[in-house]
Amino acid sequence: MSKLFDGLKKLVDRAGRGLPPVGQTPHDVVFAENKWRLLRFRPRPDVARRFRTPILLVPSLINRWYILDLQPGRSFAEWLVAQGHDVYIIDWGTPGAEDRYLTFDDVCDRYLGRALRQVARRSPDGVAHVLGYCLGGTLATIHAAARPERVASLVALAAPIDFHDDGLLSVWTRTPTFDVGAIVDAFGNVPWPLMQASFHLLKPTLNLAKVVALVDRAWDDEFLDGFLATERWGNDNVSFPGECYRRYIEELYRGNALVRGAFTLSARPARLDAIDCPVLAVTFGHDHIVPRASAGALLAGVSSPDQAELHLAGGHVGAVVSRKAAQTLWPQLSRWWAARDTDEARGLEPPDGDAPGVAHAEMATAPAAAPGA
Amino acid sequence: MQTETIWDLWKKGFTAWEGATASYLEKVLVNPSVLGPAGAMLTAAMKTKAASDKAMSAWWAAWGLPNRRDQERALHKLNQMESRLLDLEEKLEDERDARVK
Repeated sequence: MSKLFDGLKKLVDRAGRGLPPVGQTPHDVVFAENKWRLLRFRPRPDVARRFRTPILLVPSLINRWYILDLQPGRSFAEWLVAQGHDVYIIDWGTPGAEDRYLTFDDVCDRYLGRALRQVARRSPDGVAHVLGYCLGGTLATIHAAARPERVASLVALAAPIDFHDDGLLSVWTRTPTFDVGAIVDAFGNVPWPLMQASFHLLKPTLNLAKVVALVDRAWDDEFLDGFLATERWGNDNVSFPGECYRRYIEELYRGNALVRGAFTLSARPARLDAIDCPVLAVTFGHDHIVPRASAGALLAGVSSPDQAELHLAGGHVGAVVSRKAAQTLWPQLSRWWAARDTDEARGLEPPDGDAPGVAHAEMATAPAAAPGA
Repeated sequence: MQTETIWDLWKKGFTAWEGATASYLEKVLVNPSVLGPAGAMLTAAMKTKAASDKAMSAWWAAWGLPNRRDQERALHKLNQMESRLLDLEEKLEDERDARVK
C-alpha cells in the first residue's frame, strides 16, 4: 500500500480518538491569583539540580502555556528539567468577563512581577532567568526595563519589540479607520476568534498548505502526533483582557512606545536602555508573525554589555516545539544560561561538563543586532 | 507507485500555486484601499453592538436590577482586593525574612 493511502487510513483511524494529550510534564501549582497560576515543573528524581538560578518561562497572554510543554519529546520544559534546571511557567488562564478591566500594568507589573518574586524567593540568589515567548517576551522585556531587580538574564524568544514594519498586523493596527476602543467597548475582552482570524490573514493559504502536508505525511506517526498536538494548541486560544489590549495596540503597535523609550509601567519609565542584564534575542528566519527586525530590535535598545542574537531557521512555532529544536534551540539556550549561572563574582561553581562561554562562541557568528533594528 | 507520482506532481503544482497566491494576497491585504474600508466596517459593527448592549443595560437598570456590567465591576473590585491582600502578605513575608536574617 502506498504511503499516501496508508496515511489516509491513519487519519481515519485517528478521527475518533479525540485530542492528543498535552502539558504532561509533572508540575505543581505553587501560586495562584485571579485566573493566572505559577507552575513549577517537578525536578526529576534521577537528575541532580545543576544550576542555581531558576528559569521563569513567560508564554504569550493569548495562547496556552503548554506550547512549551507540548508532548513528551516535544517539550522544552521537560527537556530543561532533564538538564537539571529548575523551571517555572506562568499559566495566564482564561480571563472572565470581569477581566475586561484588567490593565496592561495589572498583567505586566502586578501579575508578572508577583510571579517573578515568587520564583526569586525560591532562588538562592533572589533572582531568576526570565524567558518570554512571543507577546510573553514583550511583557518580560517591559517588566525587566521597569523593574530589573530580580532579573538575572532575559531571553526574548520571537518577541515583538519594534512594532512598526510593513507586516499586515502593523499596517492594520495603524489604519486610521481601525478603532481599538470600539472593539473593547463592544466585547470587553477581545474574543480570540477575532484575533485568530487576523493571524490567519497573515498567511491566508496556510491552512490549505497544512491540509496538504497532513495528507502527505500522515503515514508518519511522529509527524502526525506533533501535527495534531500543535493544532490542538493553535485552536485553543485565549481572549485578550480588554483594557490591556487597548493600551497594547494604542501605545505599542500604534505609538511604538517601547522602541521610542516612551513606555511606562505603573508610572515607572520602561526604557530598553535600563536593561543591563545579559540579554539574548532569539529570532527565526521564517517567522511570519514576528519578523527578525521586530524581535532583533531589542538588542539595539538595551545597554547590556552581554548581549547576543541567536538566529535560527524555522517558523514562529515549529522552531520552538519541533523535535529538531531539541538539537538546535534548546541546547543553545541551556548553555547560554549555564554560562551565566557560574558567575565567579558570586562564588558559584561551574556546572559539570558545560564550559562557560561556549554559548558566546557559538553565537558570535550571529550579528549583534538585527538588520534595520 | 503511479498514485504517488500523480500525487507528487499535484503537490508540486499546489506548492507553486500556494506560494504565488500567498504573496499576491499579502500585497492585496496590506493595501490601504482594502484595510481602510475593512477597518470602517469593523468599527461600525462594533459601535452598533456597543450601542445596543448599552440600551439593553439601561433598560435592565431602569427596573432597579444590577446589569451585567455592574456584576463585572463588582467581581473586578473583588479581584483587586485579593491582589492588594497578596501585596500585603508579600510585604509581611519580606519583613519577617529581613528580621530572620
